[in-house]
Amino acid sequence: MPIGGFIVNVHPDHLENSIRDLKKISGLEVYGSDEKGNVVVVLEADSSKAMEEMVEKIMKIENVLSVGLTYFNVEDEIEIQEEQGKKTIH
Amino acid sequence: MGLSRREFLKRTAALTAASYVGINLPFKNENTSQASDADSWHKGTCRLCGSGCRLELGVKNGKAVALRGIPDSRTNYGYLCMKGMLFYKLMGYNNPDRLKKPLYRKSKKEPFKEISWNEALNIAAKEFAKAVKKHGNNSVAYYGSGQALTEETYIFQKVFRGGLRTNNVEGNPRLCMASAVGGYLTSFGADEPIGSYTNFERASCFFIIGSNMAEAHPVLFRRVMRRKLDNRETVKVINADPRVSPTSRIADLHLQFRPGTDLALLNAMAYVIVKEKLYDETFLKNYATFRMGKKKEVSFEKYKEFLKDYTPEKVSDICGGNITPEKIRTAALWFAKSEGTMSIWTMGINQRKRGVWANNLIHNLHILTGQLCRPGADSFSLTGQPNACGGVREGGGLCHILPGHRLVKKDKLRHQVEKLWGIPQGRIPPKPGYHTIAMFEAVNQGKIKAIWINCTSPAQSLPNCDKYRKGMSREDVFMVVTDIFPTKTTELANLILPTAFHFEKTGVYGCTERRSQLTVKAVDAPGEAKPEVWIVREWALKLAKELKDPVIKKCVEPFLGKEPDYELPKAIWDEYTQKLTKGRDNDLRGATYDVLKKLPDGVQWPAPTKEWALKGGTDIKFVRGLDPLADKHAKDQKPYQFYGPAHPDKKLWVWLRPQRGPEEMPDFEYPFYLSTGRVIDQWHTSSMTGRIPELMRANPYAYVEINPKDAKKLGIKPGDMVEVASRRGKNILPAKVYVGPCEGMVFVYWYDQEESRMINRVTKDAFDPGSKEPEFKICACKIRKVSGPKPLKPFLVEMKT
Ligand code: SF4
Repeated sequence: MPIGGFIVNVHPDHLENSIRDLKKISGLEVYGSDEKGNVVVVLEADSSKAMEEMVEKIMKIENVLSVGLTYFNVEDEIEIQEEQGKKTIH
Repeated sequence: MGLSRREFLKRTAALTAASYVGINLPFKNENTSQASDADSWHKGTCRLCGSGCRLELGVKNGKAVALRGIPDSRTNYGYLCMKGMLFYKLMGYNNPDRLKKPLYRKSKKEPFKEISWNEALNIAAKEFAKAVKKHGNNSVAYYGSGQALTEETYIFQKVFRGGLRTNNVEGNPRLCMASAVGGYLTSFGADEPIGSYTNFERASCFFIIGSNMAEAHPVLFRRVMRRKLDNRETVKVINADPRVSPTSRIADLHLQFRPGTDLALLNAMAYVIVKEKLYDETFLKNYATFRMGKKKEVSFEKYKEFLKDYTPEKVSDICGGNITPEKIRTAALWFAKSEGTMSIWTMGINQRKRGVWANNLIHNLHILTGQLCRPGADSFSLTGQPNACGGVREGGGLCHILPGHRLVKKDKLRHQVEKLWGIPQGRIPPKPGYHTIAMFEAVNQGKIKAIWINCTSPAQSLPNCDKYRKGMSREDVFMVVTDIFPTKTTELANLILPTAFHFEKTGVYGCTERRSQLTVKAVDAPGEAKPEVWIVREWALKLAKELKDPVIKKCVEPFLGKEPDYELPKAIWDEYTQKLTKGRDNDLRGATYDVLKKLPDGVQWPAPTKEWALKGGTDIKFVRGLDPLADKHAKDQKPYQFYGPAHPDKKLWVWLRPQRGPEEMPDFEYPFYLSTGRVIDQWHTSSMTGRIPELMRANPYAYVEINPKDAKKLGIKPGDMVEVASRRGKNILPAKVYVGPCEGMVFVYWYDQEESRMINRVTKDAFDPGSKEPEFKICACKIRKVSGPKPLKPFLVEMKT
């Protein structure tokens, strides 16, 4: 279950609407924002693939200008991969 | 208290993000009884583009488990893009495709078989020695990469030049920024930008031409975007490009010109600046001269005369697209009058038949208006690869340059290098070697018998690549490839040597803004993969024996006995910086590993002393008080000192450069312009990004972008399979119909490895006569619908043994 910390930049004139749209994405939590349009977002997903999909969804929201990643933790995904890796990689 | 581990990690994620923008969250993560999120954190640079973003890799039980940006790094202030976030997936234990053993085949028709390192290096030494003995020193060559560490490029070129006595040392930066080098040298007398990324926060006008930085340099683009949004009324963004791209989204003015008319557009802006007296008379008087040739200085009057062919009225006809005289005037006005104007460009300008001239004409605008050396004012070319500047431009990785910005052909400079290496005078040949296209032409002709390709895939990345793949497939050309994954080029190799990836070895990357940054080994390489510096050292020792030449051994002698993960690259860096950059404009003596480790990011040269390096080095070159070399070389009291080595008069040169179209223009038979470029989640030949499932899934195969008007005329609908054909080759790609390219132009991404979607089979290998950089960006093609949509599969080269 990867966890990512992001700053999503939205157009400052549409901050509230954008936050409302962001919150519709499941697995996404908004932790804070400011009047410049910086929104602190944490994503929790089943795999980094699923997280990439969430990021794509965010990018498609109107008035979202950029999605900046600042922190990414994949410790349990690595463990799972390693388990699978042991079976498939030789 | 009582937080679950997931809650702890989520809070860590939120706190990290919030700290970047100064938002206070109502909780802290201290005093929780949780274990930390990683055992150790390791500072380094992102691997996947030229921005130089700094990050920390979190390692737990010897494996990379987390990534975070470094907030006080002056390159990225902690931000990363998706590519940056996912590149840990390429590390050994994460990726089953990694090359782990040396592989060999005598004939290119045979399958590879695994061999030991000792056997592999013996074979490489014997084959190179055989070529030298039978066909002379110029029958061997090195073709390197802007992704190799500086230590790697340096030691490769040292062994080839000092040991094998050839200047056949080239690298893929020839394909991306050679024209920028040519432009800086001829306009400013010194290579590399004058200013830094700090100008993103200080500029009040951005002139972005021939760069889709929103996709190619997303984290830097974020800074430009922030600057614009925080100062919406006062900061202007001009985007000049034949294609509307995601970069255009923040533009106040989009100048969409017909491909290949950029030189006219830039001259027209100069015309307006001169006509409307928007130029800076004092700056020109103090610091500039006008040139028609290196030795041919002309007057300002003559320049004015020259510009008469470029009135906005005339040029708007030449440029077509959406260009009007009014738009040209507005752009020139904003450019000249802003408090600080920053031009930004990449391949759209560099990959042109007249790429150096295009660079000159951007610099002209800055010299005319004095938009240089002061906060926010800069003429700034972005590089695409993480170490094209540091390793290749500065470290001597091209056929005509030696380390420390020295020209091969200058006897004095060549002899300096020989002396510093302790090898006999005359050991390095006085003639530059083959530039990239000439090198692969020589491979085609069988003149090169043994070639070492490191960390790049010319079989896919050269323009008109089918032509050059023929040479690389020759049975009488021995080819070694060092890489981490199979590629289109390993398919043509005799010997494949598996190398350690980023963070699996130690070394320095130098990014676009003259900044050197260290990445120290944090995890082990998979299988038997080795760092290149070890490979070259061991190979050179065997080569010295084969050729019975003690000078070859001499080239690696200072590095003998050093362990390869840290001590060896450190010794190489020390030799390069302390000896070879001493007294040069890229003086890096202050930037020792110890100093680099102390800083969150790194050091910008010139940095002649540790004290200066510890402050971060030089933010703006040529300014007295800000650049130690400007004080050292000062010849008068003026605030700016343009001490660069290439201009004897120590002035900036305004060039009279006429409009020139591309080598190949659309005609009756091939009526479209073809241009190529990148998409955000894929990089270069996708040998790395293609192996990150999340990135591959977002863009599984290349498209051809077609303007809706053209699509309608040709009956092409989105997803239809379209043939893109030139005089050289053809592709069949699915169509993306949208208002990206202008009418009459199509655009294709170049990362796809699938034969029928590999666009460099179609592009043209014409090149700039000055910089020798190929004109990837423009050629003529025809398009037709082949069928309706077809299911397509992503494709990557696999290793068959
Ligand atoms: S912008 Fe470039 S250097 Fe920065 S994180 Fe993305 S790929 Fe890496």
